[in-house]
Amino acid sequence: MSATVAPSGWRNAAAVALRTVAVVVAILIVVQTLIVVQARPQDLITGFHGMVDIVRRASPPDFAKLPDVVWPTLETIDIAIFGTIGGVLMALPLAVMAATNVTPSRVLYYLSRAVIGLARAIPDLVWALLFVTAVGLGPFPGGLALAVHSVGMLGRLFAETIENMDMAPIDALALTGANRMQVFSHGVVPTVLPALLGIGLYRLDENIRSSLVLGFVGAGGIGFELLTAMNLFQYREVSLLLIVIFVIVFAAERLSAICRQRLA
Amino acid sequence: MLRVGRLTLRYPTGKQALAGVDLDVSAGELLIVLGGNGCGKTTLLRCITRALAPTEGEVWLNGHEISRLSGERLRRARLDVAMVWQHASLVRRRSVLANVTSGALGRNQTWRTAFGGLPPDEVDLARRYLHQVGLPHLAQQRAGTLSGGQAQRVAIARALAQRPVVMLADEPVASLDPEAAQEIMRLLRKMAHDEGLAVLCVLHQVDLAFAYADRVVGMRDGRVAFDRRRADVSHDQVQRLYLAEAA
Repeated sequence: MSATVAPSGWRNAAAVALRTVAVVVAILIVVQTLIVVQARPQDLITGFHGMVDIVRRASPPDFAKLPDVVWPTLETIDIAIFGTIGGVLMALPLAVMAATNVTPSRVLYYLSRAVIGLARAIPDLVWALLFVTAVGLGPFPGGLALAVHSVGMLGRLFAETIENMDMAPIDALALTGANRMQVFSHGVVPTVLPALLGIGLYRLDENIRSSLVLGFVGAGGIGFELLTAMNLFQYREVSLLLIVIFVIVFAAERLSAICRQRLA
Repeated sequence: MLRVGRLTLRYPTGKQALAGVDLDVSAGELLIVLGGNGCGKTTLLRCITRALAPTEGEVWLNGHEISRLSGERLRRARLDVAMVWQHASLVRRRSVLANVTSGALGRNQTWRTAFGGLPPDEVDLARRYLHQVGLPHLAQQRAGTLSGGQAQRVAIARALAQRPVVMLADEPVASLDPEAAQEIMRLLRKMAHDEGLAVLCVLHQVDLAFAYADRVVGMRDGRVAFDRRRADVSHDQVQRLYLAEAA
């Protein structure tokens, strides 16, 4: 009897020790985070009046400038749509090659995984800077940057969706004598299409938010207007732009969610 | 029509799933294979369709040996062998009619079909096959909304659209209620007797085998234990197949 009780006691003691270590490690992580980010909460309190001053100067929003914001807003939305469509078109063939269950060859599998990984690893801001260098300022490099960066995320999620699909109908179709292309278009595509569209819509929602930031590096759109207004201390225009941004982001998120719900 | 000779499958682990199986199925005949779990019934079907490559032996279809084919020649050979699975394996988001028509894709290698289109003349034929299985009214319904019995009947219609000479069925009634199971077995018998197909069906339901088979093959440990006309098979013989599994 004692032979079974002793190890159980040791196990309990070890479990308590492990829990204590885990709590200490967690506290250490939080403390080092506060040190590294140089967190000074007292500065927030002493500098609070500065924030209040900016908010006061930003009120009321300059709605007279609304007509001037329409075009940059359209640019921002279109950069995101361009980037998403471009990303989907490039990601689809890559995902097929990067899915273990349908890839035509092992070499193509690793090659496509590498391309997808590279597209994801480089931030969209860096892609935007690269494309601005290549094609100049404006919305086009922004669209290109989002398209290439989207390939990283879309390619990976598309490939995972294809890998997780029910293979029984696909195998059944292959055994009827259908060729690879027919199996793909009649079996794989209808099976995964709703999921892929859902992912694409989610990406569009993300890209709209990203396209706002891309304006900061010269890729046009409402982000560029926001940066200019901030540099010129036009805070009432800034608040107007922030309202427009909120409306765009909220509308895109809701629309994307509704569409994805219908596709499910 | 279909002849299997000394068919053997040995897995890399050394386990022998099939050990020299010999059997044949004639046109217009419904052959039912019985046997306990793991006796090699499904493996036999998978070797015939070449979903698995047999280690040894031959599969003759309409006088052509197909067990060593690959690539385009294998694809063409598969056109003559239709398979009905335990679960209907339909593309759930496509219509019933599209699923049935997809059985004919192998015979229609056009650009249109390569990009998701359906051959128009095959659509008309697919409607006829749906009528044959008693589901013409469900043509436009999404396959994912069908009951198990309906889905299995659509799978049989898809197999017919393939216009095969041999139909293989792997436990096609395993997940169906008794009435739906009878309906599927009646259809398989009709395919054999009225359409002249060679039908090889793997079953677990002994009563259905005795009710519908023209010939019964019993399998045990990857081998054919008996191969007789239905009238010549005794319940004792069948029971021994399952006792062996229990032991």
